[in-house]
Amino acid sequence: MGAMEGLMQGIQVAFSWQGILFVLIGVVAGTLIGMMPGLGPISAIAIMIPITYGMDPSVALVMMAGVYYGAVFGGSTSSILLNAPGISGTVATSFDGYPMAQRGEAGKALAIAAISSFVGGTVSVVLLMLFAPALSAVAVSFGPPQYFALMFLGLTAIASLSDGSTIKALITATVGFMVATIGIDGQTGTSRFTFGNPNLLEGIDFLVIALGLFALAEICFLVKKRKDQSLQNQGDIGSLKLSKADFKEMRGPMSRQSFLGFILGVLPGAGATIASFIGYISEKKIAKNPKKFGKGSIKGLSAPETANNAATSGAFVPLLSLGIPGSGTTAVMLGAFLVLGIQPGPLLMADRPEVFWGIIASMYIGNIFLLILNLPLIPYIAKILKIARPMLISLVAIFSLIGVYAISFSTFDLYLLLIFGFVGYLMRLFSFPAAPFILAFILGGMMEQSLRQSLTAAGGDMMILISDPVSIGLYIVSILSFVVPIIRNRKNTQAEEADQESNAS
Amino acid sequence: MLKTLNQKVSIFLILFAAGYLYLTYNLKEYPYVPVDSDFVPKILGYLLIILAVFLFFDKSSETEEEKEKRQVPKKEMLVLLAVGGMIFLYIFLLEIIGFVLSSMLFIIACSWFLGYRKLVTTFLVAVLFPLIMYLSFNYLLQIRLPQGVLPF
Amino acid sequence: MKKHVWMIGSLLIVLLLAACGGDSSETSGDGGDGEWTPNKNIEIVAPAGAGGGWDTTARSVGKILEEEGITEQNVGVVNKEGGGGAVGWSYINSTNNPHNIFVSSPPLIFVPLNGQSDLSHEDFTPLSNMIADYAAFAVADDAKWQDLNELFEDMKNDPSSVTVVGTSSPGSMDHMQFVTIAKKAGVDIQKIKYVSAQDGGGMTQILNGSADVYSTGIAETVEQVKAGKVRVLGITAEERLEGEVIEDFPTAAEQGIDATFVNWRGFFGPGDMTEGQVAYYEEKLKEVSESEAFAEIRNNYGWDEMYMDSEEYSQFLDEQREELGSLMEELGLNQ
Repeated sequence: MGAMEGLMQGIQVAFSWQGILFVLIGVVAGTLIGMMPGLGPISAIAIMIPITYGMDPSVALVMMAGVYYGAVFGGSTSSILLNAPGISGTVATSFDGYPMAQRGEAGKALAIAAISSFVGGTVSVVLLMLFAPALSAVAVSFGPPQYFALMFLGLTAIASLSDGSTIKALITATVGFMVATIGIDGQTGTSRFTFGNPNLLEGIDFLVIALGLFALAEICFLVKKRKDQSLQNQGDIGSLKLSKADFKEMRGPMSRQSFLGFILGVLPGAGATIASFIGYISEKKIAKNPKKFGKGSIKGLSAPETANNAATSGAFVPLLSLGIPGSGTTAVMLGAFLVLGIQPGPLLMADRPEVFWGIIASMYIGNIFLLILNLPLIPYIAKILKIARPMLISLVAIFSLIGVYAISFSTFDLYLLLIFGFVGYLMRLFSFPAAPFILAFILGGMMEQSLRQSLTAAGGDMMILISDPVSIGLYIVSILSFVVPIIRNRKNTQAEEADQESNAS
Repeated sequence: MLKTLNQKVSIFLILFAAGYLYLTYNLKEYPYVPVDSDFVPKILGYLLIILAVFLFFDKSSETEEEKEKRQVPKKEMLVLLAVGGMIFLYIFLLEIIGFVLSSMLFIIACSWFLGYRKLVTTFLVAVLFPLIMYLSFNYLLQIRLPQGVLPF
Repeated sequence: MKKHVWMIGSLLIVLLLAACGGDSSETSGDGGDGEWTPNKNIEIVAPAGAGGGWDTTARSVGKILEEEGITEQNVGVVNKEGGGGAVGWSYINSTNNPHNIFVSSPPLIFVPLNGQSDLSHEDFTPLSNMIADYAAFAVADDAKWQDLNELFEDMKNDPSSVTVVGTSSPGSMDHMQFVTIAKKAGVDIQKIKYVSAQDGGGMTQILNGSADVYSTGIAETVEQVKAGKVRVLGITAEERLEGEVIEDFPTAAEQGIDATFVNWRGFFGPGDMTEGQVAYYEEKLKEVSESEAFAEIRNNYGWDEMYMDSEEYSQFLDEQREELGSLMEELGLNQ
C-alpha cells in the first residue's frame, strides 16, 4: 500500500517533462563520458555534481541515476571494440565481445550488449522496487569472514578462465595477487613493495593493469597484423541482425544473471565487477559447449553485460535503504545526494518518498532510453573498426594513455602502463592467459583484507572463517564448481571419443 | 641444459618469487595485530615457487597454434620496439609540450611509420582528434589535460 | 632510409618545442613584496581522487571563487591522487608556483609522521583554514555500552573484547581520533583492536556485529541514529553542536574525558610565497568562508565553520603535530 502510493509519487516525478528531459540528458552524458578513455561512472558522477547545484533535488538525482547507467553502458563499448576495458565491471565483457567484433560482427556484439544491459537493468529495477526495504538486511549480513568466502569462490574460478594449461593460469593469478599487495596495507599502515616511491603508496590502479594487459598488448598484435586488411573489406560490420537462434542463446544467461547480478550488487563491496566475473564463469560452467567461450560466444558476452547492469541497480539497495555506499561509485553518488541536501538512510523512504521512488522510476525510463538511443547509434560506433590499422593503432595508444592520465594525472602511471603492456605482450607470446591475472588482482586485495579483518577481530583464531552457515555454503559451492566440471569433462571426452570411434568405423 | 621454454620461464619465475620473498621478510613489523602484513605475501611467494616447479616439469608440449604465435621475425620485433619507443617519447613529452602537440606528433609519426600514406587524412586526424579530446576534457568535463606550451 | 630522416627530423622539432616550453613556464611566477594578483588561472589541487572530502572542498570553494566573482581569474580543480596525499604535495612542491594551491586536512600531519612522505606541513605555506569536522564513535543500538566511560572501562579490563573499525589504516585519521580520546581515558592504546574496512564497510560491520565501535565522522552517523539503528557514545568536539539529532550527541569532554579531535580542512600554497601572495589568498578565502553560498554547502555536508588566517593556522598545525606525534610514537607508528 505505502509502496504503491510512493511509487505513484515517484512516477509522477520521473514522468514529468522535467524528469524525462533530465534522465535523457543524464543517460546521454553518462554514455558519452563512459565511452571516454578511463572515465567510468565514478568520474561521470563527480563531473556532474557541480552541475546539479541549485537544481530540484529529485530531478537532479533522477539525472544522476541516468548518468550512472549511461556510464556503465558506455564503458562496454571500448571493451568490445578496442579490447580496452575502461572500468573493472566491463573486463569480462571483452573476453567474448572483442573476439566477436574481430570476427566482423561488431554491430551484433554491441547490440547483444545493449539488449543484455537493458534486460539486466530492467529486471533488477523490478527487484529493487519490490525488495529494496527487505533486502537491506541482506546487505549488512556479510561480515569479513563471509566476504573472504565469497572472494574465495571467485578465485576458484580462475582455472576455468583459461583454455590452455591450468598451471599457467594459476601462475598468472598468483602474480596478479602479488601486484595487488603493492601499496599501503590497510590493516597495519605498512607500505609494502613501494621502494619509497609515493606513486605506489596507494597501489597500482586497476586501469593501468587492464589497459596494459589488454589494450596495449593487443596493440602489439595489431602492429604485427597491420597489413592485414581483412576487417576493412568485410561487409557491414555495423549490422545489428540478431537471429532467433541468437536470442535463444541469450535467454538463459539473461534470465539467470539478472537475478544473480542483482544479489551480488546488493552486497557492499562486491558490486558490478565480481558480478560480471561470476556471471561469466557460471555461464561457462553450465554451458553445453564451454569451448566456445573466449572465442566470441554470445552467452559469454551476454552474461557479464546482464550481470554488471543488474549489479548496478543492486548497489542502490544499501545506498538508498541504509545510506551505506557499497562501492566507489555509490560513494560518489552519496556525495551527490549530500550536495543536494538529501541524506539517504533508513528513513529516506518515509521522509522523502518522491526522491526514493523517483530514482527507481527513473531507472525504468533510463533503461528504455539507453536502448532506443544506442541501438540506432551502433552502426556508426562500430565503424571505428573500419579505420585503417596504422591509424587505429595510434589512436588506441593515445586513448589508453589518456585514460590512465585522466585518473592519476601522473606520468609515472603512464610508464607503468607501458611496462604492463610489455608484460601483457610477453604473456600472450608465451600463452599465459591475462584474465586470471586481472581477476586475482581485483579479488586478491579484498580477499586479503577481509581475511585479516576476520583474524584481527577474532584474535587470530582461524576457526572464525568456517563458523557460520553462509561461509560454509560458499566454500561448498566453490568446491563443487571446481570438481563438477572435471568429472563432467571426463564424461564428455569419453563420449566424444566414443563418438569419433563410431564415426571412424 | 634448459631445453624447453617452460623450464626457462620457470627459472625466471623462481627468481622473481625469491626476490619478492626477500622483500616480504624485510617488511616493517606491526606488533598489534595477530596476522601481520607479511602473512599473505609470504604465502604467495612460496606458492609461486611451487607452481614454477610444477611448470618446470610440465611435459605438455605447446600446440602448433601457440608455437606459431611465438614466431616473431626480427624485423617485426624492431617495429614493435620502435612503437614502444614512440609511446615512451610521447609520455616523456606529454607534460612538457602538452597533450595537443604531443598527440599530434605521435599520431603523425606512428601512422606514417606503420605504413599509412594518406597524408591529408593523417593530418586531419592528427589535428582534430587531439583538439576535440583536449577541449572536451578541459572545458566540458573540467578535467585538465597537460596544457604545455599552447596558450589555451 | 627515408623513415630515419623523418624520425630524426620530428625528434628535433619536438626537442626544440620542449626547450621553448621549459622557458615560458618559468616566467609566469611573480616576485616582489608588494601587492600581488594572479596573472593566470588559479589551480586548486585536490591530492585525492574525485568524490572524496578534499575533492568536494576544492570543487565547492573553486566554484564559489569563480561564480561569485571573488577572483578575476578562472579557478580549476586538479586531482593528484596517490600516497594519501603525498603525490599531490610533491607536485605542488616541484611546480612551486603561487597560482597552484591545495586543500589538506590532518593527513598532512599523519602521513609525514608515518614516514610515507618526505614533505610535511612545514614545507608549505598555510593560507587559511576553512572548516572543521569532528569524529563520532558509534555502536549498534543493541550494544551494552551507554556512554564512553562504560566502553573505556571494559577496554581497560579486557582490551581484546572490543573491536574498533574505521575506514583508514592504522596511523591515519579514523584510528588516531579514537586513540587520542582513549588515551586520555586511560586505555592501553597499544592493545586496541583496530580493523580498517573500505567503502562503507565500517557501518556494515557494526550493524552485523563483526565489529563493536565505529570511529567515523559525525555526518556518517546521523541517519542511522535517526532510524534507531546505532547510537553515538561520544563526539570529539569541544562543546555540543547545533542541529537536529546532532545536538543530542554528548561530547567526550562532558563525560569527563578532557580531549578533543578536530578534522580541520584548509588551503596551502607552496613553500616560498611572498607576503603579498599570502595576503591575497587570505582575503579571497575569507570572503568565501563568509559567503552565503558556502554557508549552505557547509550546512549540507554538516561541516562547522572554522576560519583561521595564515599565522594562526601555522601555530595550530605545530601544536597538532606535537600532540599526534607523541601518540604515534607510543604506538610505534612513528618513523
